Amino acid sequence: MNNSNTIIAKDNDGMPLIKFLAEAIRSKGPFFTPFNMISLPIMLVGFTLIVIRFVKGIGAVANLTQEVPWGLWIGFDVVTGVAFAGGAYVITFMVYILNMKKYHSIVRVTVLNGFLAYVFYAGALLLDLGKPWNVINPIIGNSFGVSSVLFLVAWHFLLYMIAMLLEFSPAIAEWVGLKRARKILGGMTLAAVIFGITLSTLHQSGLGALYLMAKEKIHPLWYSEFIPILFFISSIFAGLSMVIFEGSISQKVFASQISSKNHHAHDDILHGLSKICALTMFVYFFMQVLTFVHGKHYELLNTPMGYWYLTEMIGFVLLPMALFFHSYRSRNIFLIKLAAFITMIGVIINRLNVTVIGFRWDAAQHYYPSWMEIVVTLTVLFVEIWIFRWIINRLPVLRDPPSWVKNL
Amino acid sequence: MNINRRNFLGVLGVTGLSLCTGEKLKASPVKESKKEFFGVLYDSTRCVGCQSCEFACASSNGLPEPDASDMPEVGKIRKTNETRRTVVNAYNTSQGEVYVKKQCMQCNEPACAAACLTQAMYKTESGPVIWRDEKCMGCRYCMVSCPFDMPKFEYNSPNPDITKCDMCYERTSEGQLPACVEACPSEALTFGTRRELLAEAHRRISENPEMYHPQIYGEAEAGGTGFLYLSPVPFEEIGLNTSLQKSSYPALTKGFLYSVPSIFVLWPAILLGIHKSVRSNTNEAEDNE
Amino acid sequence: MDGFTYINIFDTKGIEYLVIIAFLILIIPYWRLLNKPLKAGAVAVSSVAALTASALRIPQGLYYSRNHTWAFMEKAGYARVGLDDLLLHITGQVELKNFRNAGEKVKRGDTIAAIAQNGAHLLIKSPITGEIQQVNSQLKSQVGAVNDDPYGKGWLYKIKPEKWTQETKSYFLSNEASLWFQTELLRFKDFMAVTLNKYSPQVAPVILQEGGELTDFPLSGMPVEVWNDFQEGFLDQVC
Repeated sequence: MNNSNTIIAKDNDGMPLIKFLAEAIRSKGPFFTPFNMISLPIMLVGFTLIVIRFVKGIGAVANLTQEVPWGLWIGFDVVTGVAFAGGAYVITFMVYILNMKKYHSIVRVTVLNGFLAYVFYAGALLLDLGKPWNVINPIIGNSFGVSSVLFLVAWHFLLYMIAMLLEFSPAIAEWVGLKRARKILGGMTLAAVIFGITLSTLHQSGLGALYLMAKEKIHPLWYSEFIPILFFISSIFAGLSMVIFEGSISQKVFASQISSKNHHAHDDILHGLSKICALTMFVYFFMQVLTFVHGKHYELLNTPMGYWYLTEMIGFVLLPMALFFHSYRSRNIFLIKLAAFITMIGVIINRLNVTVIGFRWDAAQHYYPSWMEIVVTLTVLFVEIWIFRWIINRLPVLRDPPSWVKNL
Repeated sequence: MNINRRNFLGVLGVTGLSLCTGEKLKASPVKESKKEFFGVLYDSTRCVGCQSCEFACASSNGLPEPDASDMPEVGKIRKTNETRRTVVNAYNTSQGEVYVKKQCMQCNEPACAAACLTQAMYKTESGPVIWRDEKCMGCRYCMVSCPFDMPKFEYNSPNPDITKCDMCYERTSEGQLPACVEACPSEALTFGTRRELLAEAHRRISENPEMYHPQIYGEAEAGGTGFLYLSPVPFEEIGLNTSLQKSSYPALTKGFLYSVPSIFVLWPAILLGIHKSVRSNTNEAEDNE
Repeated sequence: MDGFTYINIFDTKGIEYLVIIAFLILIIPYWRLLNKPLKAGAVAVSSVAALTASALRIPQGLYYSRNHTWAFMEKAGYARVGLDDLLLHITGQVELKNFRNAGEKVKRGDTIAAIAQNGAHLLIKSPITGEIQQVNSQLKSQVGAVNDDPYGKGWLYKIKPEKWTQETKSYFLSNEASLWFQTELLRFKDFMAVTLNKYSPQVAPVILQEGGELTDFPLSGMPVEVWNDFQEGFLDQVC
């Protein structure tokens, strides 16, 4: 298929690299869209807040306390954000290991999303560090804290970003027209995928394992030794729900990029994903039941936190699972999207319960994120979306790759 | 992409080896050193709430001294923070007013040191758990992991430190006593090796059973701590957390950390295997058409 | 250990095993129910994996011929011709081979092009009589190019028609074409039933889904004999 829409960049076909890149950087669409008008002022305030954070310390911007040292930035940006980026390893597993060709058209955009998510949430992490200049210490420093789960998570983040960049690099090679590079990078895809899935398993569960030592400090209904496994399983349907959600938006916003064949295939993809979610959430729900039985905290169900726990499990796990189940069987695309949306809320709630709401729930001074923390979080998110849009409008992610790829 | 038999057997071999030798991987001491851990025994029956320890600690660490109005008072729970590393609180108990000094417990197997990914939090050979500025990233994971909530963070500084009692590591390395121990007028604080202190504490309990609650707080809590507490009343009455587990907190992450190498070996092998078998299945199906 | 204390290291073992048994029992009906899609009551908001007339593109203003080609008179006085969506949804991704050049005269019914897929091909007949003004060179040897936009960029030829009104009188306009597409699909299903009988078990099954609907692109991947049959037994059988 030809990239023949004038608003979208063509792939490089013989033009010298610098000239091509200079051309590509120019703006490709209207500036005054509603999204731009909302996100720009928030981003500007956010950048100001980030400067204040570095000048005056984290306390000037965040509501963190000595008893609740990790708040929205870690609990939401990092822990929840990474769960949503789990779509990358699930989809690459399905396409490259299980050979489910049906999903091939969404691999690139999912990997791109995953890569950007990790880059930006690692970036958000830098904002939360007290001494961000020392972040290279665990990487090249002479003191590796190998007994630390965080050490493992940090290293895996780094390695995984490299793996995802490798998986995505064929698209970059196609865009700039480097045919030989494209061939070499394409050959590395399987290895990068296997590496990525292994890393993902470990760090998705690792994010949960971070909280294992905080046994006394997390509410018993959410603390268990099974947190790593629960985080890992929920990352599967969290990632897929994000794929469904983001895919629905991209189909409309970037419709001109997508070939009609892929347009038609999209509903089929959503349908297939809903089945996987229905099954995974069934398994996850039973894992939660097992965890609950294991913990024996039956009497805690009759407390405010207990009601909140039941709300999470029934309203935001069982209900979307049933919705996925029903919408798969009836092929109701709208219900699939609704189920995905509720699932995503449920994952956010679950992650926040473990990391922030349930963490030191009994502290004298409760933690609530300040408006400044929220604005900075939104800023990180919006910058990520801006960059996502920039890439989609130029690189062959949603649109078909150039024809010379078939001849490699 | 072909897995030949040699590669497969190689992977199997390495997996098998790692699973066999993994049995022996217990938490082994890095160095078989002759040094024993030092600790401090705090006897709250002797404490009179004079706050000399607080003043000495502040002066020794260059921190602000407590305000004249900031005294231990029943009903008021004072906490350590980034400007004070130890506090004394007063509790009304079944045996009258009891004073309790609070500071970092210098655990045998500290959660903060295990949590620290740069080894900025470090359990020294002699016992004190210290914090090292040049390594610290300010991630505050130590704060998340500590069951006593002892590491404190300088939220309002652009170059924030983590602060907590370090049992005056510099002083004790030079043969001196920790500042609080030296300053205490009523000999409520005693410095020595953990073994000696436990023996002394047991001795006091057996010689004066009516004076002491017959347990030492810190003997087994969190796997054993460097600061040990004697009390006239059960520890809950003086604000000490008695629901802590009696094993070390880092042990809770051992299961997860140990599984990492196995997953690194198993997952690629399994994934390759699935990939290969799915491919050959599809090829078969296509051939049959 | 002083004295005898009974330490039950896994006292919830019993209940947990019960939970696991419940899980294993429940997952069987869950999985089976999940795989059994609902039938008539289903709100089929979108079932594009099935080839139904409602999923096909039938733009207004075009004349649709019974050879599954269309013709559209441009303002400049010549007509564009191309293939209709039904044919392309039956075949799947194909490559176009133009037989004629600009300047040649064609009559209605003359072979003007072929669409090919993996060695099989179908001949396309011209819907109108006239002189070819322009050939669409952009489609040359690009598999799937004509499939993406058969009514727009996938046009085959620009022809100056000689008998426009006379020839298009018998063709369909878009609303009639929709009905006609439906009957053609029924005719195609019958054709497939006959063909499958003839060639199975060599021909791969699964053309028909559970609801009796055709899957999209049913001829895609079929062997050459089926395509030849389709040419003779379906395309050329213009009623």
